[in-house]
Amino acid sequence: MTQAKDELLKKLSDGVLEMEEDIVIESANAYLEAGYPVLDGVLHGLVDGMNRASVLFDEEEYFVTDVLLCSDAMYEGLNILRPHLPAEEVEKEKPKGVIGVVEGDTHDIGKNLVKIMLETAGFEMHDLGRDVPLQSFVNKAKEVNADLVCLSTLMTTTMGGMETVINLLKDEGIRENMKVIVGGGPISQKFADMIGADGYSVNAVEAVKLSKSLLSLA
Amino acid sequence: MHKDDQMTPLERLGAFMTGKPMDRLLAIPVTCSMSGLASGMTHKEKRATGSNEAQAQIDCYKRFGNDLLITEYGLHGVGVALGSVLTDPEDSVPAIVNYALEDLSQVDTLDASKLLLNNDKKFQMHIEATEILVEKMGHEVPTGVLISGPFTAAASIFKTENLLRATRKDKENLHKLIHFCNENLKVIYREFIKRGAMILMCDPIASGTILNRKQYQEFVLPYTIDLVKDIHDAGGMVCYHICGDTTTIVNDMVESGCDMLSIDNRVDLNHAKREAASKVPILGNVDPVEVMYLGTPEDVERSVKECLQKGYDCENGYILATGCDLAGNLPLENIDAFMAAARTYGKWPLDPKNFK
Repeated sequence: MTQAKDELLKKLSDGVLEMEEDIVIESANAYLEAGYPVLDGVLHGLVDGMNRASVLFDEEEYFVTDVLLCSDAMYEGLNILRPHLPAEEVEKEKPKGVIGVVEGDTHDIGKNLVKIMLETAGFEMHDLGRDVPLQSFVNKAKEVNADLVCLSTLMTTTMGGMETVINLLKDEGIRENMKVIVGGGPISQKFADMIGADGYSVNAVEAVKLSKSLLSLA
Repeated sequence: MHKDDQMTPLERLGAFMTGKPMDRLLAIPVTCSMSGLASGMTHKEKRATGSNEAQAQIDCYKRFGNDLLITEYGLHGVGVALGSVLTDPEDSVPAIVNYALEDLSQVDTLDASKLLLNNDKKFQMHIEATEILVEKMGHEVPTGVLISGPFTAAASIFKTENLLRATRKDKENLHKLIHFCNENLKVIYREFIKRGAMILMCDPIASGTILNRKQYQEFVLPYTIDLVKDIHDAGGMVCYHICGDTTTIVNDMVESGCDMLSIDNRVDLNHAKREAASKVPILGNVDPVEVMYLGTPEDVERSVKECLQKGYDCENGYILATGCDLAGNLPLENIDAFMAAARTYGKWPLDPKNFK
């Protein structure tokens, strides 16, 4: 029997929130089979669940592990639904972000959380990974015409690389085309101001709020 | 002895432990990663040999008169001996690029013999540095070894993100991995204790910034209690440090049985005092980045005063320290300022009027 659309959306959302990959996979397949609009499944199911998770993270009810597992469940669902999104939706212009951990550092949990949260919030994220050569940020930002560049590090000794990226963007003459935000263990608002970044946020949920406000997005 | 001091660090520590008067408060800027700067060495040169590592500590002590020499088995030592691969940057701290264990279900294949002193060149190097320091400086200043706790050792073998997933999805193998680390850390710690070093147990991956309290109690605390007991059985002393925000686990950390507790700048010293000062001496917590690395000597002085205002009346004693290891090319003048402020405001007997 075909399940009602609302029921499946709730299962997708709850499945993400409760980190139940199997339920998400099963519900995503059932949702597709029933022929409901795929975009709704993504936004009102999977993304809704991730948004609820981020509220709990903000309230310190959920921790890093919870958010990771919620996102694992969300991506399982996305892998099923995404290929069926209508072409106009796939091609729709989204704000573009480039993200990575600066050269010399390989700690990437924080970066991954920010990427997940920004993707959930509707950004098209280009993830350069960890230990990223500084010039690569500039090259990628140019290539995709980025609106946002997100730089992360956990190590004091690699903080300086963030300033270098900003200077490289200036040298290329593209610094004013985008916002640069920074984050990670040793980073502070003071440091962000010192190196001329547009913003700093203390965690992944704040990074989304900051990015949206910097880019004047609703 | 430093020209501005009246007691050696060893005499000062002795007085501290027995409640006797001293010339000034104990002061430990954690001059580990960056110590080569005092000898004109890069981070990489300092890491290259045991004698460089020791020389950097001696030169720090000569300049600053800091109360502890620090050798560095480090946070990644266990993983590297087992096959994890590190970067080796000139002026920065190494980071892991490849992990010894890809699949947690293979935990039983880890070869503990690789961690033994006879088989691990890096371990031998840090032991050599410890021996040099104890031999040359042991009459005047104590030596500690900065070394990972069980959870961070596990994270040097198996990628942290997957370690976190395993706290829910594969508890059995994760416990096996942490147990493996703990049993081997006991052996490693004992080599340093035998040579007269104090254990500076750091477990940054167990930080409240990453784990919640329940995870800490399930995957970190029981192992730490066991490990601390072994340190004590071996006649050693342990200062326990976790980086980042440990506000919710300060109490649990003391339950480990540690001899001293070190807190990062993300924790309010007043909170740590309320929770832990009745049980152990507390070290902390001048901001290693914003104050020591990015700040001016005036910022350092102000921060030392703030720490003293909060910490001076800890029941079991207070030790002025940075919240974490100092890294990068930070201005050595800031460490001079740290020690000068310790001498000025921490002059014995401590008097709140002096650091108002």
